[in-house]
Amino acid sequence: MKNIYILLFFVSALVISSCKEKMSEEEVAQIGLTPCRKSASFIKSTGFNPSHTAFSTTEKNYKGLVLIQLPQSPADTLGKKIWQDSSWKKFGFMGSITTDETGNIYTAPIPVVNTLDIPVMEMNKIYKVDCNTAKMSLYCTLPKPDSSTEIVPYAVLGVYYDCHGQKLYAASVSGSNRDEEKGVIYVIDIKTAKVVDQLKGYDAAAVFVCGASGEKRLLFGSTRKPNIYSVELNKDGTFKNNKVKTEFTLDQLGPRGNDKARRIRYDKLGNLLVHGVEFNYNLAAQTEKPETGYLFNYNDEEKKWQFVKIVN
Amino acid sequence: MFIACDETNNKPNHTTSASEKQNAIDAVLIDDSSVLQIPLMIERIKEIKTVLAQKTPIILLDSLDASAANAQQIAIADIKFCENLFDKKTHQAFRNEVFNVYAARPQEIPSNLQNEKIYKVEMYNYALNLTTTALVNINSKSIVSVTTFPISQPDIPSHLKNIALQIAVNNEQVIKALGYKPEEKEALMANTKTALNNTKCERSLHLCVAPTFIKDNKALWVIVDLTDYKVVGIRWTNVGTTEAPENRISERKLKFEKIMECYCKKVTHLEKYNWNLNYVITTSDGLRISEVQYNKKQIINNAKIVDWHVGYSNTDGFGYSDAVGCPEFSQAAVVAVSDPRVSDIVEGGKTIGFALEQNFSSEQWPLPCNYNYLQRFEFYNDGKFRTAAASLGRGCGNNGTYRPVFRIAFTGNKNSFSQWENNNWGVWKNEQWKLQSPTTTYTKEGYLYKINDDTENGFFVEPSRGQFNDGSRGDNAYVYITKQHLDKDEGEKDLITIGPCCNTDYKQGPEKFIDAQPESIINTDIVLWYVPQMKNDDTKGKEYCWAEAYLENGVYKTKIFPCMAGPMFIPIKK
Repeated sequence: MKNIYILLFFVSALVISSCKEKMSEEEVAQIGLTPCRKSASFIKSTGFNPSHTAFSTTEKNYKGLVLIQLPQSPADTLGKKIWQDSSWKKFGFMGSITTDETGNIYTAPIPVVNTLDIPVMEMNKIYKVDCNTAKMSLYCTLPKPDSSTEIVPYAVLGVYYDCHGQKLYAASVSGSNRDEEKGVIYVIDIKTAKVVDQLKGYDAAAVFVCGASGEKRLLFGSTRKPNIYSVELNKDGTFKNNKVKTEFTLDQLGPRGNDKARRIRYDKLGNLLVHGVEFNYNLAAQTEKPETGYLFNYNDEEKKWQFVKIVN
Repeated sequence: MFIACDETNNKPNHTTSASEKQNAIDAVLIDDSSVLQIPLMIERIKEIKTVLAQKTPIILLDSLDASAANAQQIAIADIKFCENLFDKKTHQAFRNEVFNVYAARPQEIPSNLQNEKIYKVEMYNYALNLTTTALVNINSKSIVSVTTFPISQPDIPSHLKNIALQIAVNNEQVIKALGYKPEEKEALMANTKTALNNTKCERSLHLCVAPTFIKDNKALWVIVDLTDYKVVGIRWTNVGTTEAPENRISERKLKFEKIMECYCKKVTHLEKYNWNLNYVITTSDGLRISEVQYNKKQIINNAKIVDWHVGYSNTDGFGYSDAVGCPEFSQAAVVAVSDPRVSDIVEGGKTIGFALEQNFSSEQWPLPCNYNYLQRFEFYNDGKFRTAAASLGRGCGNNGTYRPVFRIAFTGNKNSFSQWENNNWGVWKNEQWKLQSPTTTYTKEGYLYKINDDTENGFFVEPSRGQFNDGSRGDNAYVYITKQHLDKDEGEKDLITIGPCCNTDYKQGPEKFIDAQPESIINTDIVLWYVPQMKNDDTKGKEYCWAEAYLENGVYKTKIFPCMAGPMFIPIKK
């Protein structure tokens, strides 16, 4: 009888497993690589050329999100123009940015120097800018932290939309403190704005989905150590398991030697570009926050990420 | 370069072991800028001064073979190689030194020159923390290329290794930690610059090396700053643990972990002369003193600075509201990077009290838009005490006003507060605020306020008008008195930033604790909030709340012009 139960368990496990859609090698390899995002349609109404624009949350003297029309050449300093909808600054300073296929923009609040604009307890949120109306509004509220202990003054440090699985990934350190790493990486269904999966216990900033290793994996940069970890994903973007793997480290690379990954993306050549900054869970702000770009590529033979060079 | 890629089912371990925490606690931060007076250092300083006076101020590498010497000469004759020898504004010489000259490695030689005799010359600029390299074609006696690498250091030459070792083995703290004076040969890895030795001086951006001494199953790391020729600090690590990166000691790790473990997570008790008190560095309220006793009688529950507001007058609403505090896991915008200091106050050769001080500094200070704040508590043998603070600049402009927000919670539940007006003490009945102004009148002793209990025990309050011999130009302070509620938190715990940067009126934050119907403050627990206003100045000879970088022996030093503010509290003698 016991053996029958065991057999039934394996059969049902097989059935559940087979429910997850399979992905071809080619399909996996293209994840994160194939362009899939459109410019927001409202950009044309600003008079800016959509092909020469970028969104920024770090423009001096601007709070929140701005749209920048980049000059034709770096020397053309007067060619740079900035546009901001009034709704883009009313929720305070913003941090990480990502866009979806239709051009909607997602971003999350971040404190700058102090938390006057947004209290820590109200920080764990994601805002969306509608691709048609340009209006920013609350998209998703993530759980509030436990305020009974001293907690870090940060929440969502990284967002990334994966077109392949149509999921938004949000890395939040809300509720973490020096002794306990309580960060969560949320998987959010883009249409319903509901959390469909989560990986608990990891403080992270940079999040990125790619298939360079032959598996669909979420890469994420720890904010505790200068390490990049990964976890395997199903085709629909949910976590396949919670087996977290150390992919590579920024330790001893670059001028500071202890950078934490702020952003991870492919560059035009398909190399992995990791933007590293100093991060100590305080609100120290420098006028010129030094940032270093670290280029890696995947060595198929060694099955490892390989450091290429520093780019700035 | 391949990076370790270990598969694991478990969460990577981010916790610090108890023994490593103890090592962090036992670390010693050293703040002695004097140069070691040994023959090697005296000779070195002499050499630097001589070279700085030369037309081409570069300390050259000697004992080179003919080709290397030739390469060095060709390099230092090149305009591009010598582009960063001088400060472009003052034309003063930077300290530059050739660290290495060697036959270039095949991968460094351009493909079209593989058959040529190519040498590489590496020069370090200490002031700019900049490396310049030149590829030199010995055959054609020409420069192939020159490249500069900001925030980068070449491997150090052997004579600098010797200097680092001498500085380390002669350091009192090193000798004390080891229990004996070490031999130079005992130091490991000293010829490996910190970058290769997996450690850096990230905050000062100086050239650092880490001679390391093994004793029993531990290694003593001595971080030696070769830009300033001093020991930054020392720290033990456990030898033989597998996670090497955990044990790498850098300037930031040394300082941050020491401060976090010793002063942020722990309350320190201080007993000196007639005084007893506790202190701790908070996450956002600076250095907090508490349970302050004079002659075994408690007089202060706690005192701290909850905010620093900095507003710039030429741009409406431009400025910062800074919290100061612990370097990690805090809401501090400007953080503690040194130990609290306790020092005697000496007047006329006689010790009359002591001071407890703490600095909070931005990483790039004194560069523009970076800040350094000093918090200072003075305790005198006669029972008076002072809560003071200073900005050491430099900020974002020469039109800034600094407004630190002091919070002082007095002991006692029968206190009242009075102001000297019309030659008399007028008691404040309800919570309110007042501004010290040029027309304010004081007692003949200079007192403006008085806080006392129902038995007339307490303190006169003497605002600074420049009489404390600290260079102050006066407090011009807002004073707020609020009722101290023991059943609700109105700033007893760490306060988040309570006010915006740039209000020029009384709205600095404490007014939030004055109720719409101001409460009675007669015979009760009261809190004194004190917000002095210091306007900065960069006029030559009149600098105030300011800092300037200047060159000394070819490297940058900082000259500070503090603006000290804060009231003195003088015991009422009945």
